[in-house]
Parts: sequence; structure tokens; C-alpha cells
Amino acid sequence: MILPAYPPVKPEKILQLRLHNLDYAAGRGYALCAMAPQVQPPTAPSGSEQEYQHGFHDPEHYVFKSGKGLTREIVERISSMKQEPEWMRDFRLNAYELFMSKPMPSWGDTALLSEIDFADLHYFVKSTDGPERNWDDVPDDIKRTFDRLGIPEAERKFLSGVSAQYESEVVYHSVREDLERAGVLFCDMDTAVKLHPEIIRKYLSTVIPPGDNKFAALNSAVWSGGSFVYVPKGVEVKMPLQAYFRINAENMGQFERTLIIADEGAKVHYIEGCTAPKFSTASLHSAVVELIALDGSSIRYTTIQNWYRNIFNLVTKRAIAKRNATVEWVDGNIGSRLTMKYPAIYLMGEGARGEILSMAFAGEGQHQDAGAKVIHAAPNTTSVVTNKSVVAHGGKTTYRGLVEIYPGAVGAKARVRCDALIMDDQSSSDTKPTMKIHEQRSTVEHEASVSKIGEEQLFYAMSRGLTEADATAMIVNGFFDFFIKELPMEYAVELNRLVKMEMEGSVG
Amino acid sequence: MSRVVARVSEIVPGTTRAVNVDGVDILLCNAGGAIYAIEDLCTHDGSPLDQGTLDGACVICPRHGATFDVRTGEALTLPAVLPVPTFAVTIEGDDVVLDL
Repeated sequence: MILPAYPPVKPEKILQLRLHNLDYAAGRGYALCAMAPQVQPPTAPSGSEQEYQHGFHDPEHYVFKSGKGLTREIVERISSMKQEPEWMRDFRLNAYELFMSKPMPSWGDTALLSEIDFADLHYFVKSTDGPERNWDDVPDDIKRTFDRLGIPEAERKFLSGVSAQYESEVVYHSVREDLERAGVLFCDMDTAVKLHPEIIRKYLSTVIPPGDNKFAALNSAVWSGGSFVYVPKGVEVKMPLQAYFRINAENMGQFERTLIIADEGAKVHYIEGCTAPKFSTASLHSAVVELIALDGSSIRYTTIQNWYRNIFNLVTKRAIAKRNATVEWVDGNIGSRLTMKYPAIYLMGEGARGEILSMAFAGEGQHQDAGAKVIHAAPNTTSVVTNKSVVAHGGKTTYRGLVEIYPGAVGAKARVRCDALIMDDQSSSDTKPTMKIHEQRSTVEHEASVSKIGEEQLFYAMSRGLTEADATAMIVNGFFDFFIKELPMEYAVELNRLVKMEMEGSVG
Repeated sequence: MSRVVARVSEIVPGTTRAVNVDGVDILLCNAGGAIYAIEDLCTHDGSPLDQGTLDGACVICPRHGATFDVRTGEALTLPAVLPVPTFAVTIEGDDVVLDL
């Protein structure tokens, strides 16, 4: 069954909705309601926790913020606040022990990583429908970026955390009804744990076990929010599912946990993030995304990450592709202080196909440490990795990639292409690809280039009347075209503008 | 060729014991009283499994959480993909006998 295609809906047109995070008695986990919910205030604070109240014209809302640092008690409190079943509580506690026992990575930007003070972070903030901050508190450079990108008013307030909801339109309602009729499950992860435990227990952490790395363990212990998607056999979801559609206060959560399952023959495209800068007071964001593409299915996952420049963004993303399935990661990294993210695809079934398109832009004070991993564990599998990065104003990018071909993956074909564009003397780019080939009857190609903007290209463009700034922006946008053309129209337009903005001042 | 590699009484139920037989690292696992033998090598990163935990009949690699069923060698979660080799175990009295 193929659902009708709808044009991508601009966020300010999405139906005003509030998700009940604390009220599961409603039965429909992703129920919509037009009225503000009556929220029960949490029980009296104990010790280090802070709870405070916002006054509204609507019923009062409470915010719960855990004390700083992470203890076993805080993990238990998170689970009980969410009223989770026993098995999820045990999952979190086991992950907590793993997190505490694992050392920090000895590789990567260890200097920047050492700035993370785990004892100084809040690991759980739950706010319900209340603005977390004043518009006045939002940094000026963010406001300027909103202006330049032409971000609508309603969206600006949401993105800066000033407001927790959008304006609405009826289109959204009928989109949700279509999804429901097709049997597509799409809700936030907290709700999914309660409504669909059998699916969650079957698949959660089979792709990324909590012991995978220190940050996956952390996420597994304190995760909150994130998406759950299940597409039944043979269903093709024409319209990209977006995180906006399950708007709740956890949307910009620090520790999102996402699980997407496409059953046999299903097809789905999921988009998260946006080009406009996302402001957050939490300085560590560590998400985990697991994708499972069963036989003959197809999953595309698009991310545009533009976290504010103080944020550490350490993400574990991995997919399994079964027989004749396809998984595509479209990964854009523009923001954050340090991003470490290596979208991976395990090609487990014969004929599976994986594609990873990644782009990175690193400006002043930023380090984008991104890459791609592809593991061929079955015959006749193919993969393509295209990574392009631009560094300017002293930024730094690193490409860290892996292609591994296991014995028996006869006829596997892998192709990697990394290109770096370095704009000035202060910036730097490193490429660290690894290839582990255990099967002779396979083909692996690797191609890399490093360059600066060609003088002739620039001269040609300027001789046609463009200023150097415009010509540079145009050339860089062209460099990123492989990526931008894969995005839905509005993202593409915003990203073009953003690249142009970022390039300013990088001439010479 | 059969070899006595350890004593059943040496391996506490719910734990593992690493032995080296003719240059091959083998992990003996006592899963609820039954002894199983797998190669002491995580197929994901090629390092030993002996510091991992034994949960029922599954051994969990300490480094990245890869899980193997010690009875069949099957890899149950990523990041492990290939099964770990197993060895036939015979118990003779208190002796653990491996057929290599």
C-alpha cells in the first residue's frame, strides 16, 4: 500500500499539539489534544533535585530537573518518573554500571573530550509545555542566524527553547490518520516502551548494545525521548517522517534514543534536525539511533545537525540491512563544538545495499570528527560512502571510516570517496580510512582528495560579475551539491543559505 | 585428539575459565552446571572474551558488548557478526575433555 504524498509541511503549519508525557491513561500514546493538559506536579523534591513552577494563563506546569552528576538513584528516579516497566528499569541500571566502568576513549580529540565534566551535568530535565527561557536570553548570534536564514517567527521561538509548540493546521491531522490506517507506528520512545513493549524488547539494543562504548552506555542509562517507528510489511511511507511530528518538550533532548524498524518490503524516510542553530543549555548530547531494515525493505535517515557551538555531540548510529534491503544515511554536520559520529551499516543479508552521504562544515573552534562504517557480512552486497568536508576560520574536520569485508562476502563491492576543502592556513582536515578485507573475491575502492578553492574557478565566476564572497559561496554550495540535492526542498534552501553565511569572511 | 584441559570443580557455575591448548586460546564456560568450550576470541575485535561476563548461556564481550551463545557459538548482537568457533566437550568424572 502506498500512502499519498504530501508536500513537506513547514513547522509553523503543524497542528498545535501537546503530548502527554506523564499521562499514559489516555491509551493513545501519541494522542493529540487542543487543550493544555492538566499536569500532576511531581512529588515533593528530595535533596538535590530542583522543582520550580511557571505561571501561565493555563493550568500550572512544573519542571523537574535532576541534581548534577549521575548516580544509580538518579537512574532509578528517571525510570520511576516515566513509570516504566521493570525490564526497562533493569536495562537502564545495567547500562549505568557499564557506563561507570568504561574509560573515556583514548582516541579522537582527547583534549576536547577531557573538557567534559560528567559530575557537572544534569542528566534529566523534563519540562512540560513551559518556556525554558526568555527570548532575551537567547544569544545574539543565534537571533542573527534566524534572520539570515529567514526562519519563521514561530519556529525561532521553538528552536531557541523559548516556546514548546508551533502553530497548527488540519493537514497534520489527516497525515496522522493515514499513518494509523496503514498500521505504521510512530511515536516517541517513552510512549513506545509502554504501548509496544513486545517490539521494543525484541529489537532494542540488538544493533547497539549498551556495552558498545561509554556514550552508548550513558544513553542507555538515561535516555529520554527519541522516536520509535515501525512500518509493517509492504507499506511504503511516501512522506518523510519528521521529528517535528511528535513534538514534545523532549524533542531537543540530550539523550535521545531512536529505533526504526522497516518490516519486509517496507519503505520509510525519516528526517531529524534542522539547519537553524539549535540552542541548548545542556552541553553534552549523546544520542543512539538503531535502524533495522528487514528483507527487501528500505530506510533512509537524514540528519542535519546544527547544534550551538558549545555543545559536545557524541552519537552512536548503526543500521542492519537484511537480504536485498537498503539503508541510506544522509548525515549533515554543521554545528556543535565537537561532534563524534560514525553512521554505520551492517550488510547482513545477500544483496543488501548501503549508502552513506556525509558532509561536514567546521568553522572557528569546531571539530567535526565524523565518518562512516560499512561492514559487508554477506555476498553480493554493495556500499558507497561519500564524505565531503569544508574547513574555514581555524576549524578542524576528521574523517574516520571503516570498510570491513568478512570472509564469505563474495562479490562485495565497496566504494569510498572523501574530499576535503581547506579554505585557509589556520584550518585543518585529516582523513583516516581503514579497510579490513578478509575476502579476496570482493572489490574495494577508495578515493580521496584535499584541495583549496581553485583559482581559475574563482576567477571565472568573478569575471562574470560575482563578488569573491558570492563566488566562494557558490563554489562551496556546489561542492556540497551531492548532499543538498538529497534533501527535501526547504532543507536544501535553508542549507544553501547557511553555507553561504558560514563562508562569509573566509575569503583569502 | 582428546585432551583433559581442566577440572569441572575448578570452574564455578556462572563463570568462565581461559585455557591455552596447543597454542589455541579456549574459554570454558559453566552455564548452569553444563560446560561449554568456545575459542577465546571475540570475532568483532579479535581480543579475548575471558574478562567478559557469562549471563546464562551467553558470554558478553567486555569491550563492546558483543554477545555469543556459548552452546552454538552464534553471535547474538552486533557488533559481532561471525560466530565464534566451538569445541566438543566431554565430561569424564571431574575432567573436562576437549576434542581438538
